[in-house]
Amino acid sequence: MNEIVSVEAVTRRFPLNHDRTKNLVSALSEASLHVEAGEFLAIAGPSGSGKTTLLNLIGCIDQPTSGRILIEGVDTSTLSPARMSVLRREKIGFVFQTFNLIPVFTAAENVEYPLLIQGIDSRVRRERVAQALEEVGLSARANHRPDLLSGGERQRVAVARAIVHRPALVLADEPTANLDTHNATQLIDLMHGLNRRLGLTFIFSTHDARLLEHTERIVRLCDGEIQSDTQVQSNTLNEGGIRGQVLASSLS
Amino acid sequence: MGKFLLLAFRNVFRNRRRTIMTLIMVGGGVAGLLLVGGFFARMFWGLRESTINDGLGHIQIFTAEHFNREEKHVLDTGIDNWRQVAATIQAGRHVRGIAPRIEFNGMLSNGVKSGVFMGSAVDPVAENSLGFTPRLESGRDLDSKSGGEIEALIGAGVARSMNVKPGDGLTLLAVTSDGALNGIDVQVVGVVNTGFKEMDDRYLRITLPSAQRLLQSDRVTNLVVGLDRTENTDMVAAELTPSLRGQPQQLVLKKWIDLAAYYKQVRSLFSTIFVFLGVIVFFMVLMSSVNTLLMTMFERTREIGTMLAMGTPRAWIMSLFILEAIVLGVLGAIVGVAGGNLIGFLLNHAGIHLPPQSLWPSTFSTSPA
Repeated sequence: MNEIVSVEAVTRRFPLNHDRTKNLVSALSEASLHVEAGEFLAIAGPSGSGKTTLLNLIGCIDQPTSGRILIEGVDTSTLSPARMSVLRREKIGFVFQTFNLIPVFTAAENVEYPLLIQGIDSRVRRERVAQALEEVGLSARANHRPDLLSGGERQRVAVARAIVHRPALVLADEPTANLDTHNATQLIDLMHGLNRRLGLTFIFSTHDARLLEHTERIVRLCDGEIQSDTQVQSNTLNEGGIRGQVLASSLS
Repeated sequence: MGKFLLLAFRNVFRNRRRTIMTLIMVGGGVAGLLLVGGFFARMFWGLRESTINDGLGHIQIFTAEHFNREEKHVLDTGIDNWRQVAATIQAGRHVRGIAPRIEFNGMLSNGVKSGVFMGSAVDPVAENSLGFTPRLESGRDLDSKSGGEIEALIGAGVARSMNVKPGDGLTLLAVTSDGALNGIDVQVVGVVNTGFKEMDDRYLRITLPSAQRLLQSDRVTNLVVGLDRTENTDMVAAELTPSLRGQPQQLVLKKWIDLAAYYKQVRSLFSTIFVFLGVIVFFMVLMSSVNTLLMTMFERTREIGTMLAMGTPRAWIMSLFILEAIVLGVLGAIVGVAGGNLIGFLLNHAGIHLPPQSLWPSTFSTSPA
């Protein structure tokens, strides 16, 4: 299999005050992780464990204090901000906890946005947007603005926006945190279905038990350190299995 | 680009109340400048017409010598064959009339007391036909057909100084064109108040034949040309210049703007004030717009972050905000132009003239363009 993401001994420290050299707090310590194409990987852990920091680093939104991250073999630490921007634009799709849709754009226009900034022809854009909205089951809501959509629908629009340009990697930061059980389950099924049907690589952070039920691999973070990296077999899908243990420990 | 323009347009109306307030601010500034500009334009127009109709005329003809040297004798730089010159000019297009004038000075006396005067001699019929009427405080204007006494108009200061009133007599003394001293008795028929004390203290006006008799000369100092419209001045001046070249004397043509020093000073002063006002209003509007744009930027940090995370180039984000500022500015300008014109239309239709027409005492012989 192709390696999509390689996190190599990455540390990220943040300054606590204006003096950026003193009082550094470590959000991530010596984390290493390798993700193959087509994986559906969960980063689990309690609040403050470093999940979002790790996702931001993989998504090239932030840069590590030490260590390096490779996306499809490209060392992101060597890239200029402009090249990083291009890499994000072409290789990565983002799904945010609070949806982060552009409120004055319709669902279709929001989905179209990543194609727009890539300079793709309008005819191709229309086709891809229609396809992506169909994938997430929102073709009928294409011309609705976000404020006229439910929370679940908004997050599905965000998923469509993340996959419309066929990225190598989709990063989702707590995608179900603002959804009720019904919508969260629908979203998990949707993401898992996209992972299987389109072969898209998903990395998402969560402490949602419902989401962990569908993952094949769970990376557990605690206090900025990777505590465990577990491949879950389908025959362990039960309360007392590895998922239950990982979930129980991640929420503790 | 189309989508970004759409995004900018929709963003502008995201917070409608704030946008409307900003548009009112920008539009108010533009409308205010339009109205002030209109006020000043009307004031300049009024001052221009007032200056011209107070006796300056649209064009004046002199001999070239008049500007090259001082007179050795009275009227030795005057126009000799002025009747022919006047006839030539009168034949031109847009010429409404020509008024010959003599500028001279001398002494006047009431028998007890004497003083100096700065006199002008005019053809009352020609002056009246061009709308040049003296501002009479008492009495009447000169009558060219009067066969008896030589009539004179004097300034209010002269009347006070000489203790005379309409109906009283004065003696004028002046040096003739060949250097001799000459004198005539005149009857005061009117007292003029020009509005300028210095002028009223020396003002005297008599008819052209009377002055020519006093000065023993058939010449005139200049010819004042009145046109149908001030806007035609440049065109008529261009047409007249070649025809003046064929005259025995070298004649020069001066447009009203060349002679209206006061008008130019006032215009320069008010233009500076207008620019100053414009700069103040511009900065007020700018600060208001910048404030609105900064507020929208701070409110949309999450959105900007999302756009950057998705790989939007920073220049595009900057362009988006600039585009929003342009949309806001253009809409504000449209509101301002529409509002300014509407207010101007309503003021004009309500009969409210800014500045009031009574500010300009003389009768307008022309209408604004």
